[in-house]
Amino acid sequence: MGLSSPDPASVFAAIGPGWQAPVERLLARQGLRRALTPRDAGILLVAGDMPGTAAEALSRVHDQLPHPRVTLRWTIAEETADAVAERIAATWRDLRAGEADESDHLPDQPPNEWKGVGPHGQGGKGMMGGTPYGRTMAMTGEDIRDGLQLDRYTARIGPFAPMLPPGLVLEVTLQGDVIVAASVQSPPFAQPADADAPELCAARMLTLLGLDEPARRSIRGRRPSGFWVRGAVPRDLGRIKDAGNARDRLAAFLAGDSPAVAATDLSELLPGLEWSEAMLVLASFPPSSILRAAPIPEAA
Amino acid sequence: MIVLLALAVLGTLGLGAVLVVAMDGRIAQLAGQFARQRIETEAPDRLNRDLAPVWYLALAAAGLSVVPFAPGHALLDSPVGIVIWGTCEALTIVTVFLHGWAPNAPFPLIGAYRYVAIALPVMLPSMFVLIAAALPAESLSLLAIVESQREIWNVARQPLGLPLFAIVVLTLTLRGPMDFADAADIATGTSADESGSARALWEVARAAMLVSASALAATVFFGGPLGPALPGPVWLWIKTAALVAAFAWLGRRIARTTPSRMLTILWVVLLPLSFLHLAISGVIAL
Repeated sequence: MGLSSPDPASVFAAIGPGWQAPVERLLARQGLRRALTPRDAGILLVAGDMPGTAAEALSRVHDQLPHPRVTLRWTIAEETADAVAERIAATWRDLRAGEADESDHLPDQPPNEWKGVGPHGQGGKGMMGGTPYGRTMAMTGEDIRDGLQLDRYTARIGPFAPMLPPGLVLEVTLQGDVIVAASVQSPPFAQPADADAPELCAARMLTLLGLDEPARRSIRGRRPSGFWVRGAVPRDLGRIKDAGNARDRLAAFLAGDSPAVAATDLSELLPGLEWSEAMLVLASFPPSSILRAAPIPEAA
Repeated sequence: MIVLLALAVLGTLGLGAVLVVAMDGRIAQLAGQFARQRIETEAPDRLNRDLAPVWYLALAAAGLSVVPFAPGHALLDSPVGIVIWGTCEALTIVTVFLHGWAPNAPFPLIGAYRYVAIALPVMLPSMFVLIAAALPAESLSLLAIVESQREIWNVARQPLGLPLFAIVVLTLTLRGPMDFADAADIATGTSADESGSARALWEVARAAMLVSASALAATVFFGGPLGPALPGPVWLWIKTAALVAAFAWLGRRIARTTPSRMLTILWVVLLPLSFLHLAISGVIAL
């Protein structure tokens, strides 16, 4: 800390099957910084072999990084974290010197064609609704809490959104930031048991609670310090039969314990929660539980 | 004298912002960001996108202009200095909202609305705390509030004031437990679709606002430029720097709860508490 702190390499992680724990541990190192949005990153770290279904999303994330940008792949289990950290550091030096850059993977145009239906061209009612360019626009619907009419907005989030488990694609319908409907479009990538390590589970929750430095400390195996850590998680959030609530699970993670949770179906668990509550609930499940909670959708 | 005070305001804001970024250990990081590409979102509100950080900086400067740098000397020697500062606080909400509105993207917009919902009830404790500080001075002028602390600082006379105002400062500067605009669960919220110089400039504006709010806290609770031996501005700088460090330290260490829970805490606990604070301060001032 202080005036002499060098510019840490800003890395956005696209985590594939089996690579969650190694990547989370890698990016907690000194001199590396895990970007919470691709806009804040210079290096795209693609870890593991991506399934073909995620290829387009990966290209989209790639194109969201500002120039200059470089993609690094970490796909060989034999390559140590030290070696990857060195590769990242070297690439970051090149980036800062302006000696590396990558062009877009996808053409800079909407993913779908303009529909051109109705008086305003977007195909909805009046000036609302419709799916111009294949993206649904907000349309009023009943608020699930008081029944008043409020805009509903549907969006797909994932598979590389850093607040969600890697691989999970959720289609959520939001009113404000309240989730009124959620469906799993694509389940999280399978992760081996080391992703369930309590210090990693704790760090995911600490990051959502705004405690970046304690989260890094936790991943490095040291005691995370902070005020009101457990208390900040609402008491009745994410209560699961036999596995307590999200606050209990955070306490267990912090105590070095990773409780087994038989999570319920996400499409039933998430509606009614606000977005930030939903993210805390998801982070309070060890990745293996999330995988069980998000069944693979039947092939069409 | 006016030129000197104007230089003091701008210099304090500029050097202070550098100090804040240095305390966060992010000088090199921000400098690097200025060199990176600035991304254009689809159909943004360009005017407000460009103006949001400028407004934020301007509000920090306007707020600092009512702060006395020496007993009896402020750039804006207003009989209602507290009200001018309060206006800057309220307009900060508009600025942060526009910052989230402008990119035309879902996560920034969620951050914008969340911030408005949280920051509006924070303005009420802020008002009560500042009015309470004005009671012993029997004036809304910050010069008079400084004079009223010659015997005893307000931080001792009104012990609830500073903790309540700390919440206001963290809200105004989007820090730690009150950073509902740029939170991690919405991919840094109002900044989620910003890169390069735009992102860095927003950080600089936040740092400047922390300097401004800390200087006001130093004036209202710690006697501002009052102090032995050293000249007034030096005392103000020392007190401001100490408060900047304290607020930044708190921001890094206190966990952030969910927005709806924070709303309940603000309305049900902090608002009555701040009213109680005002009532007690009023009785003592009688």
